[in-house]
Amino acid sequence: MPDLQGRIVLAGVGGQGVIFASRLLAEAALAAGAQVMVSESHGMSQRGGSVAAHLIIGDEPGPLIRRGTADTLIALDRLEGLRHLPVLRPGGAVFINAVEGFPEPVRARLDELGVSACQLDADGEALRLGSPAIANVVLLGFVAAHTSLGLSLDDLKHAVRGLGPPPSVKINLSALDGGARNANDPDHGHCAQLRPSTVALEQASR
Amino acid sequence: MGKQLLLGNEAIGLGLIRSGCRMVTAYPGTPSSEILSSVIRYKAHAPEVVYAEWSANEKVAFETALAASWSGLRAATAMKQVGLNVAADPFFSSAYTGVVGGFVVISCDDPGPHSSQTEQDSRLLAHAAKVPVLDPSTPVEALQMTGLAFELSERFQIPVLLRPTTRLCHARQSFDSDAVLFPATAGPQARGFHKDPQRWAATPAYRLKLHVELVQKLEAIEQEFEISKLNRIQGSFGENGSAPVGVIASGVAFHTALQVLRDFGADIPVLKLGTPYPLPRRLVTDFIRRCERVIVFEEPDATIELQIPDRTRVRGRLDGTVAQAGELTPERAAAILAEALDEAGFPVPAPADERFTALVQGMALPPRRPRLCPGCSHRSAYFAIKRTFGPQAIYPGDIGCYTLGTNLRAMDTCLDMGGSVTMAAGFYHAGRLLGDERPIVATIGDSTFLHAGIVPLANAVHNDARFILVILDNHTTAMTGTQPTLASVVGTNGAAALPVSIPDLVRACGVRFVREADPYDQDPFQELLKEAHSFTRAPEGGAAVIIADRPCAIFDPTPIDAHPIPVTVTEECDGCRYCVEAFECPAIVLRPDGSRVDIDLKTCVECGQCIDACYKGFIVPQVELQHA
Repeated sequence: MPDLQGRIVLAGVGGQGVIFASRLLAEAALAAGAQVMVSESHGMSQRGGSVAAHLIIGDEPGPLIRRGTADTLIALDRLEGLRHLPVLRPGGAVFINAVEGFPEPVRARLDELGVSACQLDADGEALRLGSPAIANVVLLGFVAAHTSLGLSLDDLKHAVRGLGPPPSVKINLSALDGGARNANDPDHGHCAQLRPSTVALEQASR
Repeated sequence: MGKQLLLGNEAIGLGLIRSGCRMVTAYPGTPSSEILSSVIRYKAHAPEVVYAEWSANEKVAFETALAASWSGLRAATAMKQVGLNVAADPFFSSAYTGVVGGFVVISCDDPGPHSSQTEQDSRLLAHAAKVPVLDPSTPVEALQMTGLAFELSERFQIPVLLRPTTRLCHARQSFDSDAVLFPATAGPQARGFHKDPQRWAATPAYRLKLHVELVQKLEAIEQEFEISKLNRIQGSFGENGSAPVGVIASGVAFHTALQVLRDFGADIPVLKLGTPYPLPRRLVTDFIRRCERVIVFEEPDATIELQIPDRTRVRGRLDGTVAQAGELTPERAAAILAEALDEAGFPVPAPADERFTALVQGMALPPRRPRLCPGCSHRSAYFAIKRTFGPQAIYPGDIGCYTLGTNLRAMDTCLDMGGSVTMAAGFYHAGRLLGDERPIVATIGDSTFLHAGIVPLANAVHNDARFILVILDNHTTAMTGTQPTLASVVGTNGAAALPVSIPDLVRACGVRFVREADPYDQDPFQELLKEAHSFTRAPEGGAAVIIADRPCAIFDPTPIDAHPIPVTVTEECDGCRYCVEAFECPAIVLRPDGSRVDIDLKTCVECGQCIDACYKGFIVPQVELQHA
């Protein structure tokens, strides 16, 4: 996939694994043959403050994604998701780790802009899988099960195996599957506009 | 190595190793810290070939590496921009003396600022020092420029500044090590230090001669930069060879400009400058002559712009076209370019729809400020200090994680590295003049004390300044990723090192009240603070130093893990918010309705310190509740 392209923003709170999640997507895109640039927050911002990573896939080494031009927003936290919504372009997609959906005026605006809003209680799923720390990877599995990213669940699994070490590989693989399974489960993953890809769901059940 | 993702700072580290650099020294500081960490990683296969050192401060780091260069070896030193201030003395002087082995100074600027006191431009300091600058715009370019910097340094026997910014240092870029060309020269054969007192120990008369030499070197370097491949024009002029709008850009701002122009579908000429100082003036003047108007995009200040001989057609920071403070974000670049292109008659997309931004702004989302980690020993020390001295005392502070002590209102000043000690003395002497007898309680971390606190303490004692200094000794340089300090038992390369004793140093400064105590023992620690206060007020007393000895909970969690104290909040909690504000642990969470607090088990490290934070006794050990 040499023409893989995309602008992805990941948002969350320091300690949630925003940087690891961006690293995972970047490695997957790299393995898929794309050029990648990721911008990370370090230092002061890691001590519990808002953290965002900008991931640009394709031949444009600009460091940051301009407001209104991101294809995808992946938010590990509801508040940070709301805060970063303006990064999205019309027709983009937002994936959010939350129990509660967006407030009504926001939902109306998302509809107007044709933005797909998908929601999953990734914290809950991570807890069910026995490891609260993997909500970030659960959400990525959920994202990959929808078609908007250009990276398949298998691409992400490959990247997880590459990042190691073995114990975390195992739990991260189960997190990806856990997230992806929820894409088809109306009780948990909720996505009004985007249909999960059947390929991803097959990959998740393997 | 093949294809991989490379952090900007790793790229520089790899560049140093690949260039045959034999000594790299640094003091950690965001955004520069990972440069030396990656050097240590990359050199692991040949530890005896490369000497790496986490130095006490940037001046020490600079001079240590410079001696290697004077011995004929390729050497480099890495720091953040405010670190270059600390190393300014040798930086300026070494431009005169020159170097032998290639000598690269890496100073990372922080437009924003994201984690610095200032947004200063290291390139301007280099201009003042007459040191040439290379300004990379991506991690891969930084890797290549590292090699070129050594070549330049050796050819002209001059230090060279490599100047990345935060967005480069902390960007990960895909990198194909087989495809990237690299000037893999290893430098000339080193012959050891060769005596030449008229150069290496020059008196003022010889310094003048060296200054003349330096000016000649810079003239020659400017001529070389005129034809350097690091400077190139991208995009097109019109058919008549001119353009209504052009851009001159360097560093990360170059790609910010390109991204916006691509989004706009605008093809205008962009002069990319990798060599901002000395400015290749002919190249720049020719470019400007072919454009009706030129916008300069650079960060964080106007280094290129200031050197342009005729700025009649030039827009940038100096005329306010580009904001004079803050990061040059893609949004700012888009607004500037849209206006310029529109005036020049280019079709420009409609301004970005800001209704969403307005909607989100209207929601007044609470900002999330950084906080001390759960289990942090600084929180316990600050809690004790604040309980003992209340809101009236003066709290001079310093640079590190513990700067977050401002959240707990136990830090009133934060100027620069070591400023807590000197300012505490200054506040004392000023208070004497004013009849202001408020207690003064200064805090400084172990790494910062060893960096810049020792001489100020000796100075304060010698001049009989009366204050309490609490050295927050968490056994590491925590803020920047737990690098070792001079007091560490393990050195830069992971081997055993001779630890410097902080209590002995304090005593050697003349301090007669020196105590070590664990801030986790809240009551004794508060008693000790009172005792120290009495000592500062006694006629025969003086400055008092308490060393709050407790390792960083991230760096060394073993003491907490050995004695975990899981806590719970009783039914009686009335949501008074005292613990939330005075203790501010991320694991103590106020319910949205404000009725009470709960312990967030996901973040709690079971240090048990919050038991003292509820003076009503509603935060209790779990075991106690079970027995009740």
